[in-house]
Amino acid sequence: MIKLYDYELSGNCYKLRLLMSFLGVEYESKLIDFYPGNQHKSEGFRQINPLGQLPVVDDDGLVLRDAQAILVYLASKYDASGKWYPRDNPALLGQISQWLAFADGITATASAARLHDALFYTQIDVDAARAGANTLFRILDEHLYFAEEAGQDWICPGDHPTIADIACFPYIMLSEEGGVSRMDYPAIRRWCDRFKRIPGFTVMSGVFPAGPAVSGSIVSAA
Amino acid sequence: MTTDLQSNWYPIASSSDLPKRHVYQAQLLGREFAVWRADDGYVNVWENRCLHRGVRLSIGINNGTELRCQYHGWRYANRTAGCTYIPAHPADAPARTICNNTYPAQEAYGLVWAGELAVGELPAIDGFESATVLRPVPIMAPQKMVNQALLGYAWDDTCESAENSDGSVTITATDGSAVRVFVQPVDSNHSVARALYNRKVAGEERIALLKRHSWLMQELRDRTETQAARQETPAPYEPVIAKVSEDLVDIPAISVDGRKADLRVQVARKEMTADGIASLRLEAIKDQLPTFQPGAHIDVHLPNGLVRQYSVTNGPGETDHYTIGVKREPDSRGGSVAIHDTVGEGDVLAISAPRNNFPLRRDAVHTIFIAGGIGVTPLIAMARALNAQGLEFEFHYFVQSDDHVAFKRELSEFEGALNIHKGQSPKETGETLTEVLANPGYARHVYICGPGPMLEATRQIAADKGWADEAVHFEYFKNTTELDDSNSFEIDLARSAMTLTVPAGKSILDVLRENGINMSSSCEQGACGTCRCGVIEGDVIHQDVYLSDGEKAEGRSIMTCVSRAASNRLILDI
Repeated sequence: MIKLYDYELSGNCYKLRLLMSFLGVEYESKLIDFYPGNQHKSEGFRQINPLGQLPVVDDDGLVLRDAQAILVYLASKYDASGKWYPRDNPALLGQISQWLAFADGITATASAARLHDALFYTQIDVDAARAGANTLFRILDEHLYFAEEAGQDWICPGDHPTIADIACFPYIMLSEEGGVSRMDYPAIRRWCDRFKRIPGFTVMSGVFPAGPAVSGSIVSAA
Repeated sequence: MTTDLQSNWYPIASSSDLPKRHVYQAQLLGREFAVWRADDGYVNVWENRCLHRGVRLSIGINNGTELRCQYHGWRYANRTAGCTYIPAHPADAPARTICNNTYPAQEAYGLVWAGELAVGELPAIDGFESATVLRPVPIMAPQKMVNQALLGYAWDDTCESAENSDGSVTITATDGSAVRVFVQPVDSNHSVARALYNRKVAGEERIALLKRHSWLMQELRDRTETQAARQETPAPYEPVIAKVSEDLVDIPAISVDGRKADLRVQVARKEMTADGIASLRLEAIKDQLPTFQPGAHIDVHLPNGLVRQYSVTNGPGETDHYTIGVKREPDSRGGSVAIHDTVGEGDVLAISAPRNNFPLRRDAVHTIFIAGGIGVTPLIAMARALNAQGLEFEFHYFVQSDDHVAFKRELSEFEGALNIHKGQSPKETGETLTEVLANPGYARHVYICGPGPMLEATRQIAADKGWADEAVHFEYFKNTTELDDSNSFEIDLARSAMTLTVPAGKSILDVLRENGINMSSSCEQGACGTCRCGVIEGDVIHQDVYLSDGEKAEGRSIMTCVSRAASNRLILDI
């Protein structure tokens, strides 16, 4: 069975819990005490990931680090529908990779601000982190506004969400814990509602479920 | 702090920002709003906090008719923002006074407009009757600075800009195309530029227009934010945030009004819903109707001076009208006949605010409704509330024949839970009820409403089958007890520190009123429960049909309109 080195409050670990829940893949959580235990920097864990970062998965001996890399791997291996990571569609793969990199930017900003406010990472320049998050959110909000104009619900074109949506969702949804309001990003807020209505969606601390859409669809059309 | 700015209308959202089942977050002059569109299309603009613990309602759930707080599940009704349900007190109806702050709102020109103290109609925006709403762009700068910058907005060399009297800016090109930009003051250093284009465009032309505007505004935003950053940041607005009342957890509040008819409603529709039963749709003449709880009734003041109680049949969140059902009583004293023969569509009636003396528990694992004839009305509202929450129930409706089935459309919502028993003799009814009530159990509850004899029989069968008194809830239409008011006695009012004498021929309620004690009442015949009062000492002759046998034996409550003292003196908790 897949082993996930996991921490409840980590948005990056949450990305993998989300994908495995959407796919119905069973896994075992190996809990790492990130705070206050600092166990991800322990000697034992650094032998698994020399970067000392979560998450890591161990799938039958294949050990992988980095949430985005693991999303690519799990979707490629376990999504029989091929919709979360469509390997036969170069244009879409390019776009997905572009937004996976963007999600790393969200981690470096919105997640950093949250680490500062919620988990006592006092060395982080929180003003710079918040400003960086707002810059990225402005870009994503405009992108999603024009996606809606084109009749699209998700970050990448198509009628199904991709791992790009999963990679961006957690630290956007948790941004208020780092003092970054989403009030100025109505298109992002609507996308969050749609994302929460994907069958198999699970929550984590600080992430609330959405109510059902009209007539049971996940699309938000008025 | 109140400013002139608060009486202006500002756009706070595009209409397309409010898809169904979504909650939009907005802010105007420092005050946050939770904005949501109900399934009936109504746009609610509310203060963005739950009255309970202050959590933002913008993270709540819009279920189409109500907004539910994520924290402890308090629910607030579309339009009125009245609290309809508190999960921690599932057996109680929330007090009518628990109501969130709502703000004036209008939807026009594809935008949603609000103003904390705005009144009157939104001024016409000439030339933009058929407009395209452009993408709103937030700008971290004061409203005035953004307005100033907008004078430089141009998409070609022919553009000319001018400020309008309302502060908005119109940019016009020589080909007649124009953009009008309104700046929403989110806070002292935070604005959103919301713009209209004076033509409807579609397809690729629309996308090109939206992209052009989005780009121009972002360029303008970057310049303006650079300018704003060089200046001292103005102090944020400080909207007055009223303290959340501590007593909001004590429910329900005791109302101290007498028999009042504060509301005026118009009969919007009157139709025969079954043989001898009229349904009346009552709509507010102005403003909105108060929130009601399932099981609630209203007093209807009739043109002939009579006052009658009718249950509200509406489903949760329907607050723009009340629908009641009225049966023509063969031995009517004038109430039902007046409604059937005299009251017509368009007539104005005086009604009381809804009162709930027949509350519905929502913590039951199974609920059984037993309706006889017109007694179906309060139970329809209750079952609709449970149905909306996905809670389990069964609905038994005893009628003479198919022609006597009222509110068929509403009943059809209950699908498999509905059992209509037609034309049963009293003996057959008894057998059916014995079957229906065969299994009492933990958190199983029965609600009964119907004619007196059927109610008596049902209560007896429930008792025989082992149902606990607290699990059997009932409401009589009227009290057929022969009232005896021949004795005289004293009442001590513990809270008011008064001793009064109740003479033969007068009720406790009459004597209280004569002495300036304001006591609510409704039916004044011992059936509705509104004039209930606590008894601290003394024995009571109960002559009402509201209290259960257990409550009567306990002797802790009295219906002041009909019941009297068995001893010389009663000490009342009033």
